[in-house]
Amino acid sequence: MVLAGERQLDSIGHNYEELKQVFGVKVVHALAEDIDPVAKRVNLSDGQVLQYDKLLLSPGIDMRWNAIEGYDEAAAELAPHAWKAGPQTLILRQQLEAMADGDTFIMSVPGNPFRCPPGPYERASLVAHYLKQHKPRSKILILDGKDNFSKQGLFTAGWQAHYGDMIEWVSLSNDGRVVRVDAANKEVETEFGTRHKAAALNVIPPQKAGFIADRAGVTDESGWVPVNPVTFESTQQKDIYVVGDATVAAPMPKSGFAANAQGKVAASAIVAAFAGITPQEPIWANTCYSLINPDYGISVADVYRVRDNQIIAVEGAGGLSAADASDNIRRSEAAYAVGWYNAISQDTWGTIL
Amino acid sequence: MNRRILPYKHVLHKLLLATFFAAAATLVQADEIPPAQVKLMAGTCANCHGTDGKLAGAIPAIAGRPATVLEAQLLAFKQGLQPNTTVMDRIAKGFTDAELSALANHFANINKQ
Repeated sequence: MVLAGERQLDSIGHNYEELKQVFGVKVVHALAEDIDPVAKRVNLSDGQVLQYDKLLLSPGIDMRWNAIEGYDEAAAELAPHAWKAGPQTLILRQQLEAMADGDTFIMSVPGNPFRCPPGPYERASLVAHYLKQHKPRSKILILDGKDNFSKQGLFTAGWQAHYGDMIEWVSLSNDGRVVRVDAANKEVETEFGTRHKAAALNVIPPQKAGFIADRAGVTDESGWVPVNPVTFESTQQKDIYVVGDATVAAPMPKSGFAANAQGKVAASAIVAAFAGITPQEPIWANTCYSLINPDYGISVADVYRVRDNQIIAVEGAGGLSAADASDNIRRSEAAYAVGWYNAISQDTWGTIL
Repeated sequence: MNRRILPYKHVLHKLLLATFFAAAATLVQADEIPPAQVKLMAGTCANCHGTDGKLAGAIPAIAGRPATVLEAQLLAFKQGLQPNTTVMDRIAKGFTDAELSALANHFANINKQ
């Protein structure tokens, strides 16, 4: 929404006032730099060392720099990933604003798993919404490291209806995987040697758990964090609980909704562990709205439980918005997308929007 | 007079029966789902309906609404009987009837302020 100029960046920022003032949580604004899981200590960037009985981590993601040749932190200043909101978002917004009518916006999308599975396609939709109004002869080229994506049918139908052939999606099998980036020239090269030049270049690189997960010794060879599905306690380090995008929680997606739901299950499990009782039976939901434009919303929803020590999506529940839904339903889902954002911001940070 | 009163009596009788069964159902479910479990389950609703189901906006608040109304609506979602539903049908299908009833009771008992 910020990229499309529909919202300002500060409107998606939140603070910790409710945690401090309503719940009496002691909030320290410093980076956790190292963790000793044996001595149960956390080293902070301000020099403090904290001792814990139980530790809950939400490490988020880090980019795998140089997994795509030429794409490192310096390159991200020229060809932003904008996959962590903030200055990166503004660089990409500036590139979109600088595009001339008829220019091409290129987005490189990684294979699974990565943060926010429908995110790249919703971004393409809202960039198209912006271009349609301001630079209608422009193109969007999505170069993808996979052959199918979240809500694909709903996205492609919505794109066709609203943007004609403005958005072109190139799958892995059709040489969509970007292997080399020349950020200074805003050029990318795919697996079979095709080169594409952009006016605005957005490279969403492959990802892994945030670095603090490595420091805590909770990641495995995949770069992500395996957890006990009932409690979200690390399977590798006792008394460290991990939630959010960093975890291996499939079929739950790497979404903010899922992270919030996992946080509740982990908090409940920690309380149960302190009380010496069996943790509650976990249950999670996830609803993920995407906007094709500000008046056309689509969603995927699921309810998750644990069966045979595996997280499963409950059979017969969940699924996608109807393919043949009316304009009214699409408009309702767009309104609910905003309602959802307000609710999760309020539930997570106490933000009143 | 009698003719007029009778239909009401009939309705009243039905209502009493319904109340009896609702109460019986509540007892059964209270036995089956411990309060801490219901609370954890209710956390899944907050992501769209706000903390404790109190946030009113495009998505309606659910706190403090009558349990019977909430339960009837949740069951209608689950059974696909609610027209123009967007997502609640897909979500309600992930819960048992007893869980939906417990959730309805949980939110009905929250003061919406």
